[in-house]
Amino acid sequence: MSTALVPGVLALLPEYASIEDPVADLRAACLAATGRLGPCVRVVASGASGARVGAALVAAVGGTVVESGETGTLVVANGSARRTEKAPGHLDERAEGFDVALRDDLTSADVGLAAELWADVAALAALAGHVLADAEVLFDDLPFGVQYWVAVWGLETVAEQPPRPTKAD
Amino acid sequence: MTLQLGRHAFGDNDTLMMAIVNRTPDSFFDKGATWAEDAAFARVADVVAQGAEIVDIGGIKAAPGVDISPAEEKARVVDFVARVRAEWPGLVISVDTWRAEVGAAVCEAGADVLNDAWGGADPELVDVAAEWGVGIICTHTGGVTPRTRPYRIEYDDVVAAAIADTVAYAERALAAGVAREAIVIDPAHDFGKNTFHSLEVTRRIGEMVETGWPVLVSLSNKDFVGETLGLDVGDRLTGTLAATAVCALAGARIYRVHQVVETRQTVDMVWSIAGRRPPLRAIRGLQ
Repeated sequence: MSTALVPGVLALLPEYASIEDPVADLRAACLAATGRLGPCVRVVASGASGARVGAALVAAVGGTVVESGETGTLVVANGSARRTEKAPGHLDERAEGFDVALRDDLTSADVGLAAELWADVAALAALAGHVLADAEVLFDDLPFGVQYWVAVWGLETVAEQPPRPTKAD
Repeated sequence: MTLQLGRHAFGDNDTLMMAIVNRTPDSFFDKGATWAEDAAFARVADVVAQGAEIVDIGGIKAAPGVDISPAEEKARVVDFVARVRAEWPGLVISVDTWRAEVGAAVCEAGADVLNDAWGGADPELVDVAAEWGVGIICTHTGGVTPRTRPYRIEYDDVVAAAIADTVAYAERALAAGVAREAIVIDPAHDFGKNTFHSLEVTRRIGEMVETGWPVLVSLSNKDFVGETLGLDVGDRLTGTLAATAVCALAGARIYRVHQVVETRQTVDMVWSIAGRRPPLRAIRGLQ
């Protein structure tokens, strides 16, 4: 089964469309990733807005959101929103290191620190056993001071991975 | 409603800037600044660069003045229309005239719209529009003679009168063979109206929009703005834009203007407030 990671960027929602798309590159990456998940997609997000973003992406590629019997899983999450002075949460010097660590291990985040750094990481637990190094990474940037990753894991890349130890271990 | 102005089509939700280009030595705002043909041509180039979709070329000032014969009016505008047509094929060319004879000549030269600011004073103008397949602007003047100022005109209900006359004119144009989507109505602020009338027409412009005919408003730097604020012609932009905003909120589609950039910004902003236009590029809070 394929799995994809996208950020919960509200500008991706149709109701927030502009004349000029401020997230054109990100949107293209998200649609490409979501399009690889097959027709029935389970959306995993930390909250309602992320779930809406996931559902909108699934709808945009002609898929259906399901609770079970999925052909693929879409995880909605992102890194810190405190990466730059212009970022929504302003600059926090700890944010870059936090995101670097997260890039190495998507399930490594300290929940308390994530909250301080405005990182939306709760849904990343669904990516246990997935590492970015094995994924096709379609987007890895912080265009508005928020760290976004768009990545797709295909059948073969994940099936061969043993479950990774969690921090608690 | 979709607009088809001569060669050019526009969507249901498009707003259009109609830039005034005077081939006159004596119009009230520019006072002859574009009387010379090259100056008028440069004015067209400027407003096209500013994004105007329409130019409205006029050879006779609206106010009373020296009598201009049809031959003189044609000499001022016909060749000029042809020159603009050749330079800007995608531009909508409107000509401000009430005379059928002049209308036919400018259509032959490439005009797309006949802007009859005098409310059908020449009954054959609609036939010219139909024959050439161009648009027509149907204005309300209260029945006054072209190039006269209003004098002690009163209405039971100025908006009802404006609607009755412009819709009747529009239906006359339709009956003459002008395409429905090529017909526009205009309450004609200050024409046959005192300042109180123009303010009321502005306040109730939504009633004209509700007729279903696309509405043009010509507010730019007019006396009703000047009298309301106590400002001379050169100082009326802010007041003009305030009136523009009110008309845009109600849904007026075409704005006949001197200042294209400022009016475009005002109309776009209000159109977005009204929910008819998305923001150009919104990311604040949505990252």
